[in-house]
Amino acid sequence: MIPVSVVTGFLGAGKTTLLRRVLADPAWADSAVIVNEFGEVAIDHELLAASEEVLVNVSTGCLCCLVRTDLGTTLMELRRKRAAGEVPAYRRVLVETSGLADPAPILHALMTEAPVAETHRLLSVVTLVDAVLGPAVLGRHPEARRQVMLADRVLVTKPDLGDAAAAEAAVRRLQPGLPVRAAERGAVEPGWLFAPGEPVVPTDAEARHSEGVGSIVIEREAPVAALALTLWMQALAEHAGAKLLRLKGLVALAEEPARPMVVHAVQHLVHPPEWLAEWPGDERRTRIVLIGQGIPRHFPARLLAAIEAEVATA
Amino acid sequence: MTPPELRDLLSDALALWEVPGRVGVDGGGVVLAGLRVAAASKDELPIRWWIERAGHRRPCTSVSGLLRGVRNAVGAGEGEARRLRVAGA
Repeated sequence: MIPVSVVTGFLGAGKTTLLRRVLADPAWADSAVIVNEFGEVAIDHELLAASEEVLVNVSTGCLCCLVRTDLGTTLMELRRKRAAGEVPAYRRVLVETSGLADPAPILHALMTEAPVAETHRLLSVVTLVDAVLGPAVLGRHPEARRQVMLADRVLVTKPDLGDAAAAEAAVRRLQPGLPVRAAERGAVEPGWLFAPGEPVVPTDAEARHSEGVGSIVIEREAPVAALALTLWMQALAEHAGAKLLRLKGLVALAEEPARPMVVHAVQHLVHPPEWLAEWPGDERRTRIVLIGQGIPRHFPARLLAAIEAEVATA
Repeated sequence: MTPPELRDLLSDALALWEVPGRVGVDGGGVVLAGLRVAAASKDELPIRWWIERAGHRRPCTSVSGLLRGVRNAVGAGEGEARRLRVAGA
């Protein structure tokens, strides 16, 4: 499986600058980069210093609108060329979206298109928010908010030019607890940036809801039965629909509470569950974060409680 | 699920489905939008809930079925057609 990370962020957030920096790191030079530029004249890919053979530009429009054809085709063609020795044996793929892209269709394509999902694995979503315009952009543009809500990590760019604390606060209003760092001109360790996404439990209860979007946290002291978890996720997908943007968490399953199961879903699409070897830290309880829009705050927890009670008496 | 717990769950569900209305406790069940939802007795298992409306009774055997039944009854559609799907499957 070839790991794929998605780098997103609104127009001018500094995605290309970041990728230039990442690719200059010898440990990350063996990355294939797919650049999606919105517009007829592609420029960003010219700015990247990656090997030409593993740099692909998709400039026919916004990737999120074309994703079911272009991204899948591009990834599979790259893979074919790698196998044939026509391009260097890259170890990962970095997808730079256009600034106007909604990441959800891109993630869907990575997770569902049959040949792509069988050969590639979505590793992480990195979103850039610039310290100068970021807070205003997040307030005005739903695409920018979705980029943050679907992120595993956020990099605040241009902290030397703007108010990084305000940008971070704007991010945390959408996804409290999200790992956020600030860096000038992409000066951040790629290992942190592209680490696999892990669920984060927000701690700032006041920030969990704003403008109908935000995160909802489910915590359970007692392990959750696998059947209850499955029925709950099914009911959420059925009734929340597109309002549920993302779900991620660590679950103590009643059937195997000694190690946590990682659940990760984008809307109604669920990653195959993975298991961690052991619980990170001292807390061994279920913690699930839902990122959504217009979902009543207590609905997920009330639904889970009702289903758990039902399963317990079945 | 107690009647107040059922009221709270269905109130949230109405908000999620963007259906205006209130849910109130009514004896052993709740009332909403011209419906009454009542818990079935233990000897009626596997039926757990009844959705009652103008002389009709619809049985529900699960919370999921109850939500689906209420959603249909209040005219909020049939939910997300795309069911849970495992990536790559």
